[in-house]
Amino acid sequence: MLFRVDPTSAAPLGDQIAACVRGALAEGTLDAGERLPAARVLADSLGVNVHTVLRGYQQLREEGLIELRRGRGAVVVDGASPPGRARLLERVRELADEARKLGLSEDEVVSLVRAAF
Amino acid sequence: MKHARTRLPAVVALPFLLALVLDLVFYAALRDRLPTRLATHFTGTGTADGHTGQTAFVLAVSAALVLLGALWAAATLRPGRPAGGARTLAGSAWGTAAFLGFLTAATLRANLRTLARLPLWQLAEAAGVAAVAAGIGLLLVRYVPKPDPEPSTGLPRARVELADGEVAGWARRVDSWWVLAGAATLLAAGVVVWAVLGRVFAVPALAIGFLTLLFARPYVTVDRRGVAVTTGWLPWPRIRVPLSRIGGASHRNVDALMDFGGWGHRVRPGATGIILRSGDALVVRRTGGREFVVTVDGAAEAAALLNTLAERDRGQASR
Repeated sequence: MLFRVDPTSAAPLGDQIAACVRGALAEGTLDAGERLPAARVLADSLGVNVHTVLRGYQQLREEGLIELRRGRGAVVVDGASPPGRARLLERVRELADEARKLGLSEDEVVSLVRAAF
Repeated sequence: MKHARTRLPAVVALPFLLALVLDLVFYAALRDRLPTRLATHFTGTGTADGHTGQTAFVLAVSAALVLLGALWAAATLRPGRPAGGARTLAGSAWGTAAFLGFLTAATLRANLRTLARLPLWQLAEAAGVAAVAAGIGLLLVRYVPKPDPEPSTGLPRARVELADGEVAGWARRVDSWWVLAGAATLLAAGVVVWAVLGRVFAVPALAIGFLTLLFARPYVTVDRRGVAVTTGWLPWPRIRVPLSRIGGASHRNVDALMDFGGWGHRVRPGATGIILRSGDALVVRRTGGREFVVTVDGAAEAAALLNTLAERDRGQASR
């Protein structure tokens, strides 16, 4: 799949790599069960450190979008949920950004979300 | 256009027909002087070690020539032939037909003597005749009008929106289970041969098996350095076309057998390919005009990125 990062941006490169995968999932260009490139190959291709790529992959794993397995590499989780989940996660990040700009604390945002639920 | 469609099959089928007619005429002329059972198989020293009845031999040769002619003609009718495919087909058809036709005639002539002999040097003679015939085939194919160029080359080239300073990379592994299976089979065969016959005999199977394993699941990457096919876990061996040598990229469906004559690292007139399956393939046009083709899923995205990066590279080079 296509990865694009901007080294001059303030956002950490690992976050940018994770955002690429989230975006591809949301748009449907990346399917469930598909394999992400090996961290070493991607790092070499983008000219970034392997650990940076792995940080991005780790983030995606914590979000439940991919599975990291020894020997199999990074694979998008199976099932119908990944695209919807990826879209939701994109919005959660937007929400967090917006809240930070407004000077809201984490607790305040969480209680707002809880109230809306 | 109609001529182009019918002329090429005619050019490749003609030598087989000629060989058939000449051999039959030759046979008819010699028939009375030939033994009932012809010597048809010869050892390395030229002495006969196999015999066939006259009718069976003539029928077998005729059937072989007709079948080969039909096969070659059919091969020209497949759509999506690469440029230069017509020359290969015509040359090989004329060469093959001449080789078989000459050997048949030589076999018949050898049978005129009471002790039929067909020395090995006659094979060299047959090869010489085949080379001359192949040349005739190549000359004839010049009179065949060229088919329309591939539609994919005429399509507008896809791009990816890329901001200044943004770094982009595309990577994808080509999964082909059957190459893995082939490598495993070769390695297993090597181990068995080692156990039964000894190390020396096992080396070729093990070496080829290991090489196949290395490239069984290659990575195709498109980035600031160009397009590369690598093993994914070793820096070498790898095949790379740098951005400065790339004229443009597109994607199209390739048929491994019909377009590249098989699987693996293929070299054709006008194109080189890493062909591990039939289907979607990234097609890179080098600045020299040759094509570099690699079968990979999602090739459209890779082609778009490669066009964008190559253009950016040209912009920087001219600045």
